[in-house]
Amino acid sequence: MAIGGSNNNSDQEIIEQLKQQGIDKIKSEEQLFNRYVYFIREGMSKHALSEDDAFDAYSDTILSAIEKISNGTFEGRSSLKTYLYQIFHNKCVDLLRKKTTNKQSVHRTESITDKFMHMSDAAKSIVQQLVEKSDWDLLRQKLNELEDKCRKLLLMWADNYADKEISVALVYKSADVVKTSRLRCLDKLRQLYKTT
Amino acid sequence: MDSLDYIDSYFKGELDQSEMTVFEGKIINDPAFAEAVASYLSIQQVAKEQAEEDKKKKFRELYAQRKTVNTKNTVRKLWPSLVVAALVAGIIFGLYVFVQPVSAKQLADRYIREQLQSLPVTMGARDSMQTAINLYNQEKLTEALKSFQRIIESDPGNFQAIQNAGLTSLRLQHYDRALEYFKQMETHKELYTNPSLIYQALTLMKRNDKGDAEKAKQLLQQITKENLEGKEVAGKWLEKL
Repeated sequence: MAIGGSNNNSDQEIIEQLKQQGIDKIKSEEQLFNRYVYFIREGMSKHALSEDDAFDAYSDTILSAIEKISNGTFEGRSSLKTYLYQIFHNKCVDLLRKKTTNKQSVHRTESITDKFMHMSDAAKSIVQQLVEKSDWDLLRQKLNELEDKCRKLLLMWADNYADKEISVALVYKSADVVKTSRLRCLDKLRQLYKTT
Repeated sequence: MDSLDYIDSYFKGELDQSEMTVFEGKIINDPAFAEAVASYLSIQQVAKEQAEEDKKKKFRELYAQRKTVNTKNTVRKLWPSLVVAALVAGIIFGLYVFVQPVSAKQLADRYIREQLQSLPVTMGARDSMQTAINLYNQEKLTEALKSFQRIIESDPGNFQAIQNAGLTSLRLQHYDRALEYFKQMETHKELYTNPSLIYQALTLMKRNDKGDAEKAKQLLQQITKENLEGKEVAGKWLEKL
């Protein structure tokens, strides 16, 4: 039985919706999660993981796949199921080897580095050093203290939604208004973080 | 704000090559600007992580919902086996009850536990009676009693409200008040069925003060003799008392 919407879309349809970055993306993310949720049982039986660990491995797999599909890195050389299973298997093995201790910080550095791939080495090095000094817990705490609309706006922006799409989802008049509000929210969060 | 707009344009790829060179030069020469760039990226990263965290939370809800549905489906598939298991359990329980000596209070407790945990609701109805019944069924007994009392105040002859107020008082262990309501029910002679006496007997059995068991027994005998509402239950209780 489908939960949270129709589950009848083919893999290809889900991939297309995820690539389009539209508001339907949220629905297709949930469809993708539901489609291969039985992997969790496999993680428990084949890798002897606890249900919680298997769930974490699976949801991380889906999040990673969503990102790769959205940014075009997934080229479709293998079927979606094979692709997902490969990621899932690796995540299960990682969990078993307890390699995840510092995974967050490694992933974070890689993710930020992607943003200034084309920056000159001198500028990149300066920014990188400053980013590494960030108090991530405090920043997250301040983000969650923002008023709900501001928080949602920043989350959608960070999740690669265009200002136009955000204007539809969060009912702003236009993409320009979203941009102004987004920069205002960014500034507010920056001030909150700095003054602590 | 202006520098944020500028930084935003850079990372959105809106600057041309020469503007990008100027931007990167500013990072090298202006520490405050470099810090603003780092801050922009850090916020974007932390918001991305939070967005993923929120999605994981949503996935967890979806997974929990699926598990509930799957459990229900499993129960549907297994129901014949479950029925057999329930019958066996029932027989064992029955034998246990049959061979165990039971006090009036224990009989009352069991009846309340099995029969009076919820009151029947009328689907779709949204009047004050249904609201009060819903409160009862949600175990908000004090509020339920107040609601039933309000109905009685505006409509003193409302039999259902009187009965429900009595049952709620019984559940709240306000036995004297429960008996008052159940005695009030007795005055409704026009009704074809009226469980007033069986509820009075039940309340006495539950209260279990001196002489209550004997009074309850007399009421139960009256019920069976006069073929009144609750005759079957009264007969079973009399066998055990």
